Amino acid sequence: MKSISLYVDRDSILHRIDPVNKMVYILAAIALPILVPNWYMALICMLCSLFLLWIGKVFQKSLPVYGFVFLILITVILIQGLFHPSNETPLFSLGLVTYYREGFLFALWITFRVINIVGSFLILVLTTKPSDLVESLVRRGLSPRFGYVLGSVFQIVPQMMSTMKRITDAQRSRGMETEGKLSVRIKAFLPLIGPVVLSSLIQVKERAMALEVRGFNAKGEKTFLHEEKAYVATRSILWGLWTVMIAAAVWRVFL
Amino acid sequence: MEKRSLWSFHFSTASLVLIPAAVGINYIGKLFAGVLKLPLWLDAIGTILASMLAGPVIGAISGAVNNIIYGLTMDPISFVYGITSLFIGLIAGIMAHKGWIQSWGKAVVVGVAVGLTAVVISTPLNVAFWGGQTGNLWGDAVFAAVMAQTSSIWLASFLDEIVVDLPDKVLVVLAAYAIYRGLPDNVKQMFHRHSQVEDLD
Repeated sequence: MKSISLYVDRDSILHRIDPVNKMVYILAAIALPILVPNWYMALICMLCSLFLLWIGKVFQKSLPVYGFVFLILITVILIQGLFHPSNETPLFSLGLVTYYREGFLFALWITFRVINIVGSFLILVLTTKPSDLVESLVRRGLSPRFGYVLGSVFQIVPQMMSTMKRITDAQRSRGMETEGKLSVRIKAFLPLIGPVVLSSLIQVKERAMALEVRGFNAKGEKTFLHEEKAYVATRSILWGLWTVMIAAAVWRVFL
Repeated sequence: MEKRSLWSFHFSTASLVLIPAAVGINYIGKLFAGVLKLPLWLDAIGTILASMLAGPVIGAISGAVNNIIYGLTMDPISFVYGITSLFIGLIAGIMAHKGWIQSWGKAVVVGVAVGLTAVVISTPLNVAFWGGQTGNLWGDAVFAAVMAQTSSIWLASFLDEIVVDLPDKVLVVLAAYAIYRGLPDNVKQMFHRHSQVEDLD
């Protein structure tokens, strides 16, 4: 069955860092440019995220995701440069249209921030196995039942995707049109999704019963199947990130 | 099985297992919309269905989990909009509980309410993250036009989001309602919060 995760199995230092620390890094990557709202901070944070992606040997894998982001960012640069409210200084004009400096700088600032935030999420997503992330969270006190919910999505979604393929084929073999005019395609939507939904809800019932007879709701100490992974420098990274964030907050309040 | 209130955080196993199924249905909806080349996302059907079946809390969790999983597997930007999904599930669940899913007409009202919720929550996120745009061609055309006329980012972003989100969410709720109507009673009953079990001994 096809896996749906973006995780890339590489041997790098980032792969050996506690997933929770990567989540704190995301928090820092979002908080720092807000606390210290100047150009240098946005630029430094962006370069830092990109550098970490490179350290994690996943920089190339991040490019397809960035491809989509860049498409939107290009329209941001275009529209803000033309229409941003504070536009005053023209950069250049093409015929009737004038492109302004203020809007361009604003759009550039947004670009830095978006690349930074997307990068920080990609660090987590590309270098962490989803099951490790869930296990790490359960060890830090997330309810094991909820941990199961998160983990089971990764099994259920591929299952449903194969059901979806089967049902599409079945409906087509009965003569249902799935191509052509928009009205034809809209009409096809419910007969396609309906059976998938119904079969998955019936599976929910079976799964719930199976779980209950296996003691899903049992009270008492839960244990783990796997031994705890040894992560690198968990404490020092955690403290380091919080120190930087608190320092930025203090800077913001007092200076 | 004790009687559960609307806001209960004591989940039955069935409603917990409903959450991953809801996320799966969201996925499938989006995939089918892609396969059929529909000009919509239709990626919240599972969330709405979970709200209708198991109430606002499960609906809200389904929405949030959906965006977390989606962020982990396809598109990290969707983490940012997790809070929108959470509120979509919440509002749909409350309205379903108050009896707004008994007819097509009422379902349209739920759709508009859910759509407006999505717009109100997403607009500040768009402004903070993208400077106001949504990345949708039609929506951003509106954004550019309104910016040129009024130079108000908030108004432009709000209208951009309405154009993009409102029709999509109304259709999502209608699709979810159509599916919900078709469900057999024994499936609906599984998640019922008002079920009382009589003891025979």
